[in-house]
Amino acid sequence: MRKIRSNSIEQTTPFLRWVSEGQIEEIHFATLEVLERTGVKVDHPEALQLLKDAGCIVNENRVRIPSWLVEECLRLAPRKIVVANRKGQRVMPLEKNRTYFGTGSDLPYTIDLETGKRRRSGKRDVERACRVMDFLPNYDFVMSYAIAADTNSKVSDLHQLEAMVTNTTKPMIVTAHDEINMRAQLEMAALVVGGKEELRKNPFMILYSEPISPLVHTNDGVGKMFACFEYGVPVVYTPGVLSGATTPVTKAGTIVLMNAEALAGVVMAQLKQKGAPIIIGGGATPMDMKTTATLYGSPETMMNYAIMTQLSQFYGIPNFTEAGCVNSPIPDAQAGMEAGNGILMAQLMGANLVHDVGYLEGGKTGSLTFLTMCNDYMDNARYMGRGTRIDEETMAVDVINEVGPGGNYVSHEHTFKHFREEIWSSKQFNSSFWEIWEEQGSKSMEDKAEELTKYIVATHTSELLDGGIREGLNEIIAETEKAKATSKR
Amino acid sequence: MSDFTSLAELVINGNYNGAKDLTQKMIDNGNDPLEIINQGLMAGMNVVGVRFKAGDMYVPEVMMSAKAMSTGIELLKPLIADKDMPTAGKVVIGTVKGDLHDIGKKLVVMMMESAGFEIIDLGVDIDPAAFVKAVKEHSPQVIGLSALLTTTMLSMKDTIEALKEEGLRDSVKVVIGGAPISQSFADEIGADGYAADAASATELCRRIIA
Repeated sequence: MRKIRSNSIEQTTPFLRWVSEGQIEEIHFATLEVLERTGVKVDHPEALQLLKDAGCIVNENRVRIPSWLVEECLRLAPRKIVVANRKGQRVMPLEKNRTYFGTGSDLPYTIDLETGKRRRSGKRDVERACRVMDFLPNYDFVMSYAIAADTNSKVSDLHQLEAMVTNTTKPMIVTAHDEINMRAQLEMAALVVGGKEELRKNPFMILYSEPISPLVHTNDGVGKMFACFEYGVPVVYTPGVLSGATTPVTKAGTIVLMNAEALAGVVMAQLKQKGAPIIIGGGATPMDMKTTATLYGSPETMMNYAIMTQLSQFYGIPNFTEAGCVNSPIPDAQAGMEAGNGILMAQLMGANLVHDVGYLEGGKTGSLTFLTMCNDYMDNARYMGRGTRIDEETMAVDVINEVGPGGNYVSHEHTFKHFREEIWSSKQFNSSFWEIWEEQGSKSMEDKAEELTKYIVATHTSELLDGGIREGLNEIIAETEKAKATSKR
Repeated sequence: MSDFTSLAELVINGNYNGAKDLTQKMIDNGNDPLEIINQGLMAGMNVVGVRFKAGDMYVPEVMMSAKAMSTGIELLKPLIADKDMPTAGKVVIGTVKGDLHDIGKKLVVMMMESAGFEIIDLGVDIDPAAFVKAVKEHSPQVIGLSALLTTTMLSMKDTIEALKEEGLRDSVKVVIGGAPISQSFADEIGADGYAADAASATELCRRIIA
């Protein structure tokens, strides 16, 4: 039997808290004050009626939400949302402190893998990105990455979903133009897993929908969310902001405003359907006061996400945050620093859905090579997140005694047994001596990642979808396209 | 230091109370209202423009300088005939139909106002007919279209077509902007210009009006 220490705490993973429990409560109360005093604007008729019936003060579309109602709805929202993969395996339980990485959606530009030139994104970029992420082990979920800009723009979101489900089995987060297209996507998802019942049991898809800061809940944003709840599909309902432009410039003010927007979403969701699977959080990015660019890779965003992750852990509601999205236009040293910092912070905080990994130029340009580079950043962060094992075996007092002064450990069995888990190793990072590095072609990490990416694109395909299902997906797209052409929207 | 230099300095520092008081004092002392604008308020704002471009001043500081300038101009307006009021040009602007995003366009509005443009901001979710109506009503030199969503950027083309149908296309320049917009998209739909951010939108309008 192992001899234990008494009255002692063992810490398996690093313990990171950005602010105290008391400060988290302070932010919570400030948020309640915003919802009760200032309120929100709601442009969705059903939501408006639900809020009114529940006891909110409603003047036209301005809704003031009482604190008790917010707290009641927080209790109703599920603390655990399980997301499956396309095959129905429940691979992604969204619970407190479990971290999953994935990319983001809808990049207008892509740096072409073959030519190295920046060009408009197309459906093929969605397909390729999904295949790359299907291959790379640290991507837990996918988003569309690129915009399928070469398809009919009225149904380009449907084309993106089609490209995603046919090129990866991993869980996915989708975007939708409006409620009509959302419903079409839900039908597509049901078709993929063999019916609505199966989709409800093991949803493999999450919707990303958003309020518009400050404090506006749109008809489309809420409508898409409500449609998903009818199918038991979870929804990320979170704002993307510009601190100093659409929120106060202060970090705390940004968090309070965003939290108010997210909690208004929680209230609407729970009033629509008790236990509706909703995910909170958002993109807490400041505005560059020189260029007006959105600062994704900045220290402020990571500081904000740390607190927002603590908030979600305080509420017991899964959260959606962001890392690995950089402002550098190319995968250079700046990009590495920006991505690495954010990814490590997200991992150490225990954020749930960490999206936008592998984005360049503040979320406007994609590069499959950078996507591949980020796989190793995530690996590194996860390694650190696992923490340092402290016990008799790892403190190795017996081994130290055995080797004694002046000996060596490299040939010792203890080293052989533990080196793989005790020393992180990466295929993409350079660590060889200069001469060897030259001999091997003087390749930078980017060069190596590009090679790996080209290899994946050339060789890897995910488990194929049944041909009949693919046909069905294309039929739904065609029907929606037809309906849209006549409905004018 | 002359009053003009002091006034310019107050604008540069974004001291709107000071700018208001000094403008009033200069009016009371019998200075020419147009000179107060050109050699005081605008002179200060021109320095702000140069410093902003050089990265020495930031957006919130430019906003405060613009506020200082406009508090002075408010006092001077009644003293100057409308036709003599200096302006860099008149621009109608809005976020296109189906798109509710406001902030990018707002930034353009504020930056352009601070550069002396007269702006008619139609708001968000503006359909082609409303843009046409505004062009008829205000006869601007430029109309600015904003979109954040890839689905709504196509409405820019519809707006240009609507202007053509009404025979207004040649009387007004069309400029476009927003995250998914590019120069090639502007060329594709027949817009007169594209700007990547608020500062370059101001320069673009100056250039195409001149």
